[in-house]
Amino acid sequence: MTSHAATAQSPIDHHQDPTTSTGIPNKKLLMWAFLASDCMFFGTLISTHLIYRLHPPPGTPVPREVFDVPLTSFSTFILLMSSLMMALAVNAIQKGNLKSMRFSLLTTAVFGAIFLGCQVFEFNNFVFEKHMTITGSILGTTFFTLTGTHGTHVAIGVLWLSLMYVRSFKSAEPQPGDHPWFGNIFHAATLILTILLGMKLALSFIWGFQEHGLSGGTTAAVAGAEWGIIVGLVVCIGLLRWFARPRGAVEFDQHNAIDVETMGLYWHFVDIVWIVIFTAVYLLEYL
Amino acid sequence: MRLITPSTARPQTPLNASWRANLGRWSRAGLALAGLALVTGCDLNFWRMDGHQSTIEVNGPVALDQLHVFYVTCWVTFILFILVGTALAYATLKFRARGGDGMQEPPEQSHGNPLVELSLIGASVLALVIIAVPTLKAIWFTYDVPEAEKANAYHIRADGYQWWWRFEYTDEKIKDVGELVTANELVIPADRPIRIELRGMDVIHSFWVPKLAGKVDMIPNRANFLWLKADKPGYYWGQCAEYCGDSHAVMRFRVIALGPREFNEWLDQQMQPARSVAPIAKDSDLDKLKPQFASFKIPAERNAPGWSEKFDLNPLDAWRAHQFPDKGENAELIAKGRKLFQEKTCVTCHTVRGQEGIGTTAPDLTHVGSRTTIAAGVLENNPDNLARWITHPEEVKPGNHMYLGIGAMKGFVTVDRETGAVTRNITVSDDEAHALVAYLESLK
Amino acid sequence: MDATVKSHFIPHQPGAPAKSFVLWRPTAKTGLMSWLTTVDHKRIGFLYGAFALFFLLVGGVEALLIRLQLAVPNNTILTAQQYNEMFTMHGTTMIFLAIMPLGAAFFNFVMPLQIGARDVAFPRLNAFSLWTFVAGAIIVNIGWFLPSHNFGPPDGGWFGYAPLTTTQFIPRHSIDFWVMGLQLLGVASIAAALNFIVTIINLRAPGLTMMRVPVFTWMTLVTSFLIILSFPAITIALVELMMDRQFGTNFFEVSNGGMPILWQHLFWVFGHPEVYILILPAMGIISEILPTFSRKPLFGYPIVVFSGACIGFLGFAVWSHHMFTTGMGTVATAAFALATMAIAVPTGVKIFNWIGTIWGGHLQMRTPMMFALGFIWMFMIGGLSGVMHSAAPADAQQQDSYFVIAHFHYVLIGGSLFALLAGIHYWFPLIFGKRINEFWGKLSFWVIFIGFNVTFFPMHFLGLNGMPRRTFTYDGNMGWNTGNLIATIGAFILASGIAIYFITMIYTYFKGENAGRDPWDARTLEWSIPNPPPEYNFAVIPTVHARDAFWYEKHHKDEIARERSAHAKEDEAHGGIHMPFQSVYPLLTSCGILIGAWAVSGMDSNPAPGVHAKLLTALIGGSIMFIGIYLWALEGAEGYHLHLDADGKPVEHDEPASAHH
Repeated sequence: MTSHAATAQSPIDHHQDPTTSTGIPNKKLLMWAFLASDCMFFGTLISTHLIYRLHPPPGTPVPREVFDVPLTSFSTFILLMSSLMMALAVNAIQKGNLKSMRFSLLTTAVFGAIFLGCQVFEFNNFVFEKHMTITGSILGTTFFTLTGTHGTHVAIGVLWLSLMYVRSFKSAEPQPGDHPWFGNIFHAATLILTILLGMKLALSFIWGFQEHGLSGGTTAAVAGAEWGIIVGLVVCIGLLRWFARPRGAVEFDQHNAIDVETMGLYWHFVDIVWIVIFTAVYLLEYL
Repeated sequence: MRLITPSTARPQTPLNASWRANLGRWSRAGLALAGLALVTGCDLNFWRMDGHQSTIEVNGPVALDQLHVFYVTCWVTFILFILVGTALAYATLKFRARGGDGMQEPPEQSHGNPLVELSLIGASVLALVIIAVPTLKAIWFTYDVPEAEKANAYHIRADGYQWWWRFEYTDEKIKDVGELVTANELVIPADRPIRIELRGMDVIHSFWVPKLAGKVDMIPNRANFLWLKADKPGYYWGQCAEYCGDSHAVMRFRVIALGPREFNEWLDQQMQPARSVAPIAKDSDLDKLKPQFASFKIPAERNAPGWSEKFDLNPLDAWRAHQFPDKGENAELIAKGRKLFQEKTCVTCHTVRGQEGIGTTAPDLTHVGSRTTIAAGVLENNPDNLARWITHPEEVKPGNHMYLGIGAMKGFVTVDRETGAVTRNITVSDDEAHALVAYLESLK
Repeated sequence: MDATVKSHFIPHQPGAPAKSFVLWRPTAKTGLMSWLTTVDHKRIGFLYGAFALFFLLVGGVEALLIRLQLAVPNNTILTAQQYNEMFTMHGTTMIFLAIMPLGAAFFNFVMPLQIGARDVAFPRLNAFSLWTFVAGAIIVNIGWFLPSHNFGPPDGGWFGYAPLTTTQFIPRHSIDFWVMGLQLLGVASIAAALNFIVTIINLRAPGLTMMRVPVFTWMTLVTSFLIILSFPAITIALVELMMDRQFGTNFFEVSNGGMPILWQHLFWVFGHPEVYILILPAMGIISEILPTFSRKPLFGYPIVVFSGACIGFLGFAVWSHHMFTTGMGTVATAAFALATMAIAVPTGVKIFNWIGTIWGGHLQMRTPMMFALGFIWMFMIGGLSGVMHSAAPADAQQQDSYFVIAHFHYVLIGGSLFALLAGIHYWFPLIFGKRINEFWGKLSFWVIFIGFNVTFFPMHFLGLNGMPRRTFTYDGNMGWNTGNLIATIGAFILASGIAIYFITMIYTYFKGENAGRDPWDARTLEWSIPNPPPEYNFAVIPTVHARDAFWYEKHHKDEIARERSAHAKEDEAHGGIHMPFQSVYPLLTSCGILIGAWAVSGMDSNPAPGVHAKLLTALIGGSIMFIGIYLWALEGAEGYHLHLDADGKPVEHDEPASAHH
């Protein structure tokens, strides 16, 4: 229930909202309070893991033999880079640079998707190669629940980023009889589908290379097997280009910086939590 | 006022009189309630707190230490209550607005007095220090057997099951068998510290003998223990104090403390394998047998009281009387019972050391006849109650595994979870119950 | 209109082009739809209160059945399982469905009025909290209406100690209902608490600094922080239990290394702050009522506020005093014993300050004041028996005995409930504009007060005499007969007191005389508006000059009147009073959550031939929830403008609140 009374001449102060008692915008305060709560969620899960790792019953997989730290380091690095892109997106929209913001948002989402892809790869590897399942041992139980919960947070973040990206195309002057929500939903669905297809395709290639070696032959074989996905991906990207065509004025502008910034808070938080998880779950085993 | 019986009153009483009739009915209900109080043995002495599980009249150093701490907290809080209560009562009475609808001039709008508040905070901290010091001392004392007595301590392991207790005498080894195991009645040497290892074998239970020591939980996958000492020989009531499912309320046990000589006699007897009574040769004679117990009946009602006042008057002597075989044992009936004990698959869960039973998922019955209670301290051990427990276990202990089975072991019935349909696996007729009772009671 | 003004407020007037049906926003102000889609904090508060009082009665009936069963030894009114269901549901209902939402009802109704706001910061999120709370209440209670061999109401205790609550020991869906129900109630509570935090920090009227905020609002803030920081612990514990039950993980599976003690720690890390979540709002209410009826300010306001915050902090450091008997070892036991004693200090400070408040006042012995004084007495007894528990060795005898039951009922009935009943009496004229008859109010107080003490005082003796909790039967030779019979008789006296109380309320609602403005000569801002309050609360947002803002207004009438008219003009220049639109999506989202929760908790996971019904239902529920959130975001936080005429009545035609570029 805030109203911005700023005029076009006066600069917009993104950190102050004159209608609230503290000057902090409501949404931002809500996100901060939520993150405090979320800290406790992860705190509880991480403590559960740390307590149980001290008392492994016989037959529990040995973490050092299961974990693949180079891969996880890579995904950690990607996630950190996504934070950088997120910061750039916030910066861009605060300056009113819509195009730059869209690019940064998409990159953030794609980096998040890469992280999720790494997690899918890792989980798959742990379950089928290292035989650590969620039901088989206490380590599997705490590990998959903790990292799975984090992965869910990242997935929600990617979804949010995608929807924010789509929202930035909402027309400022809807024509009578228009159904803006209709195009909006299709645009969002296409974007999410693109990300999913991309993840699937990338994983197929990686698994192919892992099994049959990195060669032109493998590439062709995987491409042949996954042709449907490739076609779908091309169509989706085409659709995305079409959705993103220039269509006059849009509603999204500097005033929405607070929305992007709030989302950014969430995203940075999820990244920071990952740093803690990476340290407490993976690196701790190598002390 | 005339009391009108409802049958005659209703048709004739005019409307305004029905209120009076109701009053009569209410006063009768009140009288009934008061009568109920008398019938159920209320002598309005509940503040005396001298029951079997009293935490006030205690018989061991651990419980006594805990009681002393309680008394300290009692006095401190009582004095605080008097002081603060007096101030509150005085203020309430003194500053009541008098007359008018409160529309007179408001009182002085004062906002507080830091000096008063800080001194009150200081005073309450002081009061808490008075409690804290004995608390800390007692925490260390009640935690484990004092160093000076460690060498003298007697070791027992107690396992909590749904809804019974297994006691293992870690200091007593039986040749080729292992440690001495009993169930539901813990016999200990008096005036000697007992260190009890506590384990929960399925869910969380809590070991509580109020007159000897406060409770400590029996938690699966956690090594807990407590120590206690009985000052003198006696018969003590104990009960599970952590909610553990359907029959939590009837998961009870007894602790019997004995002098050194009597304890050793008891140990010697318990270390023996199960007692047998020689059977007669011919099977055909079995049908002619009369029940061993003259006044034998099988009450089946739910939650029926499981104790007698005679027993309660001197439980330790009642326990002593239980250690000897009954007069007029019927060897044939006992032999039939022993056979039934096998046929009814009791042996898969119960152990009768030296005889057929080998099961470990249920209480050890090697010397069950020598115990004063059955069904984990719920029923006094007499033929009536034992027959009732064998034939209607679900009425005594709802949800018990003997009735419903556990895991792959089938109980008296199997209940289908999806449909709720009940299939009967084991039936015990009254005659069979007689024989089983005779057998089990012979296991002294 | 100034074309450069941009606002979230979109024009809404009769004849304006309707947006598509998906983003349709209901405008009805009466009827069922207006209640289902309301975003008005007062209506939401009222609904919270109505549901809470309903569940208070349900929990009360459960309590009476418990007392009937225990009236005499070896009673057979209830079976063991029924009894276990009763005490499980009595605890769960009273804590999560009665006392907490009753507190939330006051947070919703009173807090925004106390800070001079027109609504909470996120009105639709507020509606979502309400409906998710209702969904949780449905899931927790649904077992009553389903066959008991496979469903049935929860019977694992309100604390749900694993491993008793794992499928090995209770395979029925009853525990799944409890797990999912509590999960939803947690979501609802956290969402509501976040909303209150933002509201109190950000929507205070000009001049209302934090050290001028009424104590009730302060306690709302502290309680909200406790909720957002403590509920995650139980949420994760419930997730772990749910994973164990649904997917066969090992969190509490002992054979694979799970440790049941972990559940206790996680539960009480939540459970102890929860105790303060239940009592702090009560303390806030008492801190409002005592000054009003003593006709002088609260004694030592800063210390009362500080001690409330202090209790909040310390509340996170004492959870293990619920676990003194779990064999924590000497050092941990000692540390938690001392921390528990420490928390008695700020609690005692509050009692001292309340006595200081009435000291030297002119006490008006109205019904709310009676309940408030009753609260202090009962809370004092409950608090002091709490100090007895803090002495760990003594607690080894008291833990899980009737002594504990006596203690926490003194705190929760004599404390929380007395204060909430006082609050209902106190704010009834504000909420409904009706005055409650003093005679019937006082009669209900005395009957409740006597019944309560007759019920629970004997339980101290029962506990010290060794009677354990949660037992469906006891033998007649234990010396517990008289105490139990007296307690049962007391319970029925208490019940009749509650009956008098609510019958009086209902009578007053329909037939009571009008209260008129500010009937108590009160001190805080909520009394400065007409009753019942108009939808927009304040015609002009007040400016606060002192701690008891309304008291100050009443003694500086001219100054305030001048200020008011100036502010009214400013408001009008900004386009009038901003009001949020109603919305259907919070309700839709909660419905989706309800369906999903039913799928997870109530359906068997073995796939039916053809379709996996459980997964399908869960997906349907999830999709509805997602669509709800998506459209919720898409419709935006729009609203309209109200203009008042000279009498404070809204002018018929809403003007466009803003124009586009």
